[in-house]
Amino acid sequence: MTEWLNSIPLFWGKVFAILFFVGLVIWAWYRPRSYIYKDSPDKNRWRDLRIWATVLLGIQVVLYIVF
Amino acid sequence: MDIRGIDLVIVIAYLIAIPIFGVYFRKYVKTEEDYFLAGRMLPWWVISMSIIGTNIGAYDYMGAAGGAYRFGIAQANYEWIGAIPAMVLSALLFVPYYWKAGVYTVPEFLGKRYNLAVRVIEAILWGAFLACVLGVFFWASGLMLNEYLGIPVEVSLLITALIVGIYTITGGLAAVAMTDVVQLLVMFIGGIALTVLGLWTVGGWSGLVNAITPASPNHFKLFLPLNNPTYPWLGMIFGLALVLSPAWWCCHQAIIQRTLGARSEWDAKAGMLFASFPKMMIPVLVVLPGLLALALNPGLVGPDMDKAFPWLIKNLLPAGLAGLVFAAFMAALISSVDSTLNSAATLWTRDIYQRFFKKDASDRHYLKVGRILTLVFVIWAIAFAPVTKEFPGIYVAMQTLLSIFQGPTFAITLLGIYWKRANQWGGLSGLLGGVTISSFLFFITKSSFLYIAWWSFLGSLFITIIVSLVTKPDPVEKLEGLVYGLVMKDKKLQDILKRRAEGGD
Repeated sequence: MTEWLNSIPLFWGKVFAILFFVGLVIWAWYRPRSYIYKDSPDKNRWRDLRIWATVLLGIQVVLYIVF
Repeated sequence: MDIRGIDLVIVIAYLIAIPIFGVYFRKYVKTEEDYFLAGRMLPWWVISMSIIGTNIGAYDYMGAAGGAYRFGIAQANYEWIGAIPAMVLSALLFVPYYWKAGVYTVPEFLGKRYNLAVRVIEAILWGAFLACVLGVFFWASGLMLNEYLGIPVEVSLLITALIVGIYTITGGLAAVAMTDVVQLLVMFIGGIALTVLGLWTVGGWSGLVNAITPASPNHFKLFLPLNNPTYPWLGMIFGLALVLSPAWWCCHQAIIQRTLGARSEWDAKAGMLFASFPKMMIPVLVVLPGLLALALNPGLVGPDMDKAFPWLIKNLLPAGLAGLVFAAFMAALISSVDSTLNSAATLWTRDIYQRFFKKDASDRHYLKVGRILTLVFVIWAIAFAPVTKEFPGIYVAMQTLLSIFQGPTFAITLLGIYWKRANQWGGLSGLLGGVTISSFLFFITKSSFLYIAWWSFLGSLFITIIVSLVTKPDPVEKLEGLVYGLVMKDKKLQDILKRRAEGGD
C-alpha cells in the first residue's frame, strides 16, 4: 500500500487540489442568490459573496499551478 | 533584537495605546449580549480582521518561519489549501446557521441540534483547551517582554495581564474585536517591512530563488513526497484540507464567536469570507522570512532552524525598525490572548454556569458573571503560565487532545447542518465513536495526526449515519433553522430561536 502510494506522482496532488478548488467554486455558485444576499443592505454586485469566493479560490488555483 | 531609543518609545506607546483604545468600548456594554457578542453589531470588515488577529499568534511567526527554513514553501499549505477552502465552506454553509440559531457558542448549537450530552462533552473539551492555551500564551508573552525589554518574567506576566485584562474585562467582545483590527494593521506593517527589506537584500524574488534552489530544489514546491515526515502531500490534502482545516474554521469557538456578533447574516458570512484575503497574505509575513533567513544564512541546523525569524530580525533590521517588528510580534500575541480570554469566559458562562448552576437569572447577573470569569481566567493564566514552563508537554498534550476530537466534531457538525435525518443518538454515537477511533490510532498505531483526523472523520460520519438511520428521527420543529433546507421562513421563528438561545436550553 505504502509503496503504491509512494509511486503516485506529485503531479496528481496538484490535480486533486485544483479540482478541489474548482469544485468549491461550482458548489458556491449553486447557493441561491437569495441565500447569498440574505440581510444584505442592497443587492449591489460587489456584495455577491459567490464572486468573492471565486476570486479567492481562483488565486489558489494559480498558486497551486505555479508552485 | 535590541530595543532601545526610538524603538523603545514605539513599543511603550503601542502597549499603552491598546488598552486605552479597548477600554473606550466599555460604554457600549449593558447586557450579556453586548458583552459576549458585541450587541450583535459588528460589521463584516471588523469581523474579518478580528478573525485573522485571533488566528495568528507569535508562535506562528517562529514556527512557520522555522518550517519554511526546513521544508520551504510547503509550509504555506497551512495558510492556503489548509485554510482558504475551509473558510469559504464556513462562510457559505456553517456561519449562517450558527448566526440564525442565535447561539453564543458552538457547543450550544450542537446541544440544540443533537442533545445535552453532546453539548457538555464539547463544552468541557473547549473550556479546558482554551483555559490551558491561555497559560501558554501568557508565558510566551512574559518571555518576549523579558527577552527584548529586560523586564523580569513575573513582572512581564503582570503587565500582559494588565494590558489585556483591563479592556477584555470591561469591554468584552466589542473591545477585543476593535483592538484586533489595530493589532492586525500593526502586524502587517511590521511584517511587510521586514519582508521587503529582506527581499531587497537578497536581490528580489529571483535572487531568493537562485540562492536557495541549488542546495534545496524542493523548497519552492507546495507538495512534497509522501516520505516527508511533516508535509506528505496526501496528508496535506486528506488530513489537513478536508478535515483538520474545516474543523478549525467551522467549529473553533474563538474563531466563530466573531461571526456570531455580526449585525446581520450577510455581515457574518462576508466577515468570514473576507478574512480569507489577509489570511492568504500571511505567508508573506511568516513563510517568506524563513526562506530569506535560509538564503542569507544556510548554516542553521537542528533546533536552531526555529530561530530563523529572530536571526533575521537581529541581523537584518536597522535601528528604527526593531520597535515596529517587536510591536507586530506583541500584536500577534495580544490579539490571540484577548480573543481566547473572551471566548473562554463566554463558554464557561453559557455552557457551564448558565446551564448547570443558575439557569434563570437576570441579564445583568450573567454580565457580571462573565466579567468575573474573565478576571478569574486572567488570574488563572498568571498562575498557570509558569507551570507550562515546567511541563512543556502540556501544550502539545492539549493540541493532541483537540486533534483527537476535531475529526469527529467536524463530522457531526457537518451532518447536523446538512442532513436533517441525523438525530441526537447518531450525533452522540458519532462523536464518541470517532473519538474512540482517533484515540486508537493515536495511542496504538502512533499514526500522524493528519491521518488520524481523516480516519476519525470518516468513522464518525459512518457511525452517525448508521445510528441515525436505525433510531427514531428528531421532530421537525426541533430542527427548523438549524438544518440546511429547513430555513427560517419568517421573523417570528427567528425570534423563537433567539428566545430559545437566551433561555440557555
